[in-house]
Amino acid sequence: MLRKLAAAILAATALSAPAAAQDAYTIGLTGALTGAPASTYAPAVQALRIYVERVNAAGGINGRKINLILQDDSAEPGKAAANAKKLITQDGVILMLNASLSSTYAPMLAEAKRAGVPVLFASSVCPKDVYPPADPLQFCTTAFAANYDSRAVLDFIKATAKEPVKIGFSAMAIPISRGEIDFAEELSKTMGMTPVDKEVIPPPTPDYTPFATKIKDAGANWAYSWAPWVTQVRTLEALRRLDWKGDYIAWSHIEAEGELARLKDDRFYVIGANALFQDGLPIHKEIADAAKAANVQYPVQQMAEGWIAGMVIEAALKATGWPATSEKLAAAMSNLKVDTKGLRGGPIEWTKNNHFRTRQYYRVYKWDAAKISIVRIKDWTAFDVK
Amino acid sequence: MQLAVNIAVLASIYALIACGYVLIYRVSRVLNLAHGELMMLAAYLLLTTASSFAGHPLFAISAAIGLSILVGAMVYLFLMRKMTGEMALAAVLATVALGVLLRGITVIVWSAQQQYPATALGLVNPSIALPGGARISLCGALLVACTAVAYGSLLAFLRFGRWGVRMRAAGQSPLLAAQRGINLHAIYAIAWSLSTFTGAMAGMLIALDSGLGQTMTIIGLKAFPAALVGGLDSLAGALAGSLIVAAAEVLLIHYVDPLLSEVVPFLVLIAMLVVRPWGLFGTREELDRV
Repeated sequence: MLRKLAAAILAATALSAPAAAQDAYTIGLTGALTGAPASTYAPAVQALRIYVERVNAAGGINGRKINLILQDDSAEPGKAAANAKKLITQDGVILMLNASLSSTYAPMLAEAKRAGVPVLFASSVCPKDVYPPADPLQFCTTAFAANYDSRAVLDFIKATAKEPVKIGFSAMAIPISRGEIDFAEELSKTMGMTPVDKEVIPPPTPDYTPFATKIKDAGANWAYSWAPWVTQVRTLEALRRLDWKGDYIAWSHIEAEGELARLKDDRFYVIGANALFQDGLPIHKEIADAAKAANVQYPVQQMAEGWIAGMVIEAALKATGWPATSEKLAAAMSNLKVDTKGLRGGPIEWTKNNHFRTRQYYRVYKWDAAKISIVRIKDWTAFDVK
Repeated sequence: MQLAVNIAVLASIYALIACGYVLIYRVSRVLNLAHGELMMLAAYLLLTTASSFAGHPLFAISAAIGLSILVGAMVYLFLMRKMTGEMALAAVLATVALGVLLRGITVIVWSAQQQYPATALGLVNPSIALPGGARISLCGALLVACTAVAYGSLLAFLRFGRWGVRMRAAGQSPLLAAQRGINLHAIYAIAWSLSTFTGAMAGMLIALDSGLGQTMTIIGLKAFPAALVGGLDSLAGALAGSLIVAAAEVLLIHYVDPLLSEVVPFLVLIAMLVVRPWGLFGTREELDRV
């Protein structure tokens, strides 16, 4: 325990050190490395850090190293603003990254826009400004996408359900989750489903049973949750404790793979844009090896999101060349295509008008009790992002 | 029937947490705003003892409880003792700082990811069928039982126990108690240990039921209105306050809007402060001290 503590303190000290060299690509991240929602963001940041260390160990990009500065904002807007100011004015970053709650966006973006520094949302929810017509300074690699996700989910339910669908919804009481579930509720009506209940659950709540009771009592045979993982999975567990036998589908956050194996629930589906590690792709082995060598704190299955961000940053810096400025980097990012080597269903492609991706791909997984493993239920389905 | 069970479980969670606030306040007039963090720390300690005593869940739980009691005593001896004689606000701020420290330590040592002590202990949490078609998880049932036992034992201890009577005396008048030869530091250390013990039970049972993460600290704070509604210096009040807050929360979730669950405890608290600022069973004279 003491060794872990010492290692973490050393790592934190090293990472928070000011940009040492002027001949490096200096980029900075503000993220929820601690605080209540840290479980969603900290693993991705750790994966990004490992990726950058690997790039540096291999000689860097265009002969220059990447100087990645990490700042913890504990998901607090005030801290995010202070971090952004420090990263821009003291450290002189050419790219700012956000891995935190959406409430940190506005203060951080205000600083970034003033300085003309591009912002990459990596593992935090993609703001609407990255979709067409995109803001010139905002970009996003995060897997989930408002509205597209619910379309994919409801398509899947419609194709899978063997009887008329009476669907219950579960959201967390934060704007992004509520907005998506409201959208899904309306969309479900147009697809011939009957929405029977919608629970908007405050974060955190000590007992999810009162909310689950309502979904069960409403007679739902399907339930869909698009929320931070804790809300998704605890609603499901509360439903099962109430002996609810319906099908449940949720967004495949970074925790999904480990949780499918923990819950071993045959009627629990996860839908997501990242391939799970059980697919055993060469890139998965590469990430696993790197994670093992770096002795990471988090399960390797939670590393894909940060790794993808690393791949995109590497490609963007490569395209920017040297010397790099924020303007040159933003221009390079606005015309970028990155092969994700199977981690996603297709490349991440940014254009001048689209800083999300031109196509969004989805896969569905679940636990198979007969095979005693996670199985892929539906392979990549693509949606054009317009 | 399911609604009644839901109320009982939620009330038990709040009551078990709230009695920690009450114990410390009643004896030392300090609001422990690190109670949620101490509760979370206990759950993380269970995670550690679970790996140390793999296959022996009772040992692991006992060890974690023992460590939590020790932590409570250490907090008093190494931090709160230094606050003796200082303004109450200084002591409260010290607990705020302690909370921040504990949050940071837990992330560094155990990481920020969701943890499942029940899985680490090899325990299952089956659903139990009750009359009337209601159901309760095993951990939920244990929560209700532990709350009943904890409150029964604490009330008996304070009423009949030698040290319990001394604690009450120290709470009423520290000066007179000290003049009668009561060791105030020992009393306060016991109060902190007992408070951490009940918080630890709550933290461990919640973690066994639904997992463990950084959000547990906020759950700790959600029980605070229950303690205030009942009266901050009354154990019976904490129980009644928890029941009222939990019932209001569950019924409004079910019949009005689930979003209200976030504000209900504070609405009840405001209503109580307007009508009876010292709480249901609180002592009127305590108001000035608060």
